Amino acid sequence: MNSLLRHGHRLGCCLPAVQQQIHTTAVHRTFWEREKKSGYKTKLPEPSKKQLIIDGLRDLKEEMKLWRKEVREQLKSDPILVFRPGETDVVFDFKAPDVLDKWTVTSDADHGEGKSTATLELSSAGAGLFHGDVNSDHTKDGIIKRTGYANIRTKRVRKSFKRESTYDWTQYNMLIMKVRGDGRSYLINLHTEGYFDLMWNDIYHYVLYTRGGPHWQIAKIPFSKFFLSSKGRVQDRQGAIPLNRVTHFGFSVAAKKGMDGPFGLEIDYVGLEYDPSHREEFAYEMYQTPKYIVAT
Amino acid sequence: MLRRVQCLLRLHSNGRQALASRLRCYSTDEGNPKQNQNSNPNPRAQKPGTKNLPAVRNPFAAAQDRTKDTYLTMVDIFQERDVHRRNHVEFIYAALKNMADFGVERDLEVYKALINVMPKGKFIPTNLFQAEFMHYPKQQQCIIDLLEQMEDFGVMPDHEMEAMLLNVFGRQGHPLRKYWRMMYWMPKFKNLSPWPLPDPVPDDTLEMAKLALERMCTVDLRSKITVFETSELKDAIDQTWIVSGMSPEQEKLLREHSRQKALYIEGPFHIWLRNRRINYFTLRADPDPQFLSQLDERQLDEDDVSHIEVPFFGRAPPRRHNQVGKLRSVHQQDDGTILAICATGTSTKDSLLSWIRLLEANGNRSIGEVPVLFRFTSEVPAKAQEIEGGASVPATSDNRSSSQYEQQSSKRE
Repeated sequence: MNSLLRHGHRLGCCLPAVQQQIHTTAVHRTFWEREKKSGYKTKLPEPSKKQLIIDGLRDLKEEMKLWRKEVREQLKSDPILVFRPGETDVVFDFKAPDVLDKWTVTSDADHGEGKSTATLELSSAGAGLFHGDVNSDHTKDGIIKRTGYANIRTKRVRKSFKRESTYDWTQYNMLIMKVRGDGRSYLINLHTEGYFDLMWNDIYHYVLYTRGGPHWQIAKIPFSKFFLSSKGRVQDRQGAIPLNRVTHFGFSVAAKKGMDGPFGLEIDYVGLEYDPSHREEFAYEMYQTPKYIVAT
Repeated sequence: MLRRVQCLLRLHSNGRQALASRLRCYSTDEGNPKQNQNSNPNPRAQKPGTKNLPAVRNPFAAAQDRTKDTYLTMVDIFQERDVHRRNHVEFIYAALKNMADFGVERDLEVYKALINVMPKGKFIPTNLFQAEFMHYPKQQQCIIDLLEQMEDFGVMPDHEMEAMLLNVFGRQGHPLRKYWRMMYWMPKFKNLSPWPLPDPVPDDTLEMAKLALERMCTVDLRSKITVFETSELKDAIDQTWIVSGMSPEQEKLLREHSRQKALYIEGPFHIWLRNRRINYFTLRADPDPQFLSQLDERQLDEDDVSHIEVPFFGRAPPRRHNQVGKLRSVHQQDDGTILAICATGTSTKDSLLSWIRLLEANGNRSIGEVPVLFRFTSEVPAKAQEIEGGASVPATSDNRSSSQYEQQSSKRE
């Protein structure tokens, strides 16, 4: 009751001088965002200047190699133009060396907002095993209402000299995954991070239903089924995913509807395919929506 | 000018972030005033001397009989208490919070009863500015939170609810927008799963085990689910049931399995059916690397034109790769051949032993001639007597007993 009344009110009748400055509740600035993490950025200690120079020189070697490769490819000018139907091109292969360095694992415990745990490691079958425990218990601080998630995401795709780039998957229309799950449903996230702050959190989602059991399962999901959401909210203005602007790929799992407990998703590979029989561009209706109602 | 102001406002309340900000909204704690006192971070904000009494008595926390009827009666009492229905927002928040205690969190009728508490017609904006500035924001946010709770529990609203919301907030109301979004997306996702399950899932352990086995056996359509009773065997210690899934193809693989190579009973692994977790065990053989490499098409790169062999010089004419070879079964995976799956009522070693003997008795003679080894990922009791005094692995479990599983290593060995 008190917290309800206090909401939006400013601090204290006893402190009239600071009354105008201090808010007792979090301020939501809806106009612009300072950084991509929306306040969840963890400040890491900066290494010394000497260390920075050493690291920079070490990285320079690798970056030059990468750059040389890019230039060579550019000069060769031999892009793949024909994508044969029915052939899967593997993008994220867990059999490749150093594959775990390409992924970031996060959970709600990272910022003290929950108690879920998650790890990504190689299983005995040689595949990537994303496993852990999702837990919807949290500290009742009156701000966070629901927790319990774990997430893996690839690192931002980049060119040489740490320049950010995007995947170009426009030639394909299917996402192929060889997975072995535990009966839970997982969320597939395709991030299409844009330039402006409004587009930083654009993620296209779809569900990966896993059969469970000891057998591997090949999931084939058309890109047309993916829908846009931002910060976990499905957007009113929808559209097909811009496949030339995909920046990250990931999976999420949540403890929703009492599904607290261990989870395990074994991923062999994630690939792409062109299926000429699939002509759908976007699976959801594009109604003419009423003015001043949508996206408000 | 007016248009420009409107334009600015629209920018300010941009959908993406305005929606996101609704995630973080106030929670009410009328239920326990004591906790409320402690949680107040700023005691100076209160006037000294006043007791921190709750403004609204929460009838839900004090209720003795926690059923749907009591719940609806309390909503009725609140409605009929006086004509003004003071504090109805707080009442709805308290009601939402206590839904799970009454077991009504998945009941559409209850949500409708709560919306019905709101006065009709009073909150409908009458001019443009009211419509634009979220007329009666606390009330609108309250109903948005109610709809959000429905969404979380997977309760789909119906058209009567739309009519009720229209009567309360009018066409411009934010709860209506939320409702329309829900009615657009929820039916699309409701039956999306390729393995549909009853909602709620049955409480019976045997039924759950059958559902789990059926789901896992969809990989091979010829699979048959059999329910055995260990009482069929003479000297079984555990008197329980065993649900076993096996297909004719697996039976064939088992017949052809070398008598010298061991089979493994592995587990307990788990599968989730909604919020229930079922333990299962597999009967597995090591993969046959010779057979698999013979099938492996990756060894022959058909695109590689640098080594085209000339068939005329000193070699047999090329045969089409694997033209008359054996086909690979779906059960022959790279990391092992799955021969059968089972779930037992007690998940003990004895019940698994009974499973093997029952398989042998039911048409799989060869299993008696092959060594069968247990390979467990966590501790499995030998027989059912131990399970009564704090078992480590019961057959099924809901989320509450998850702490018992901490010892389990999730690697599939």
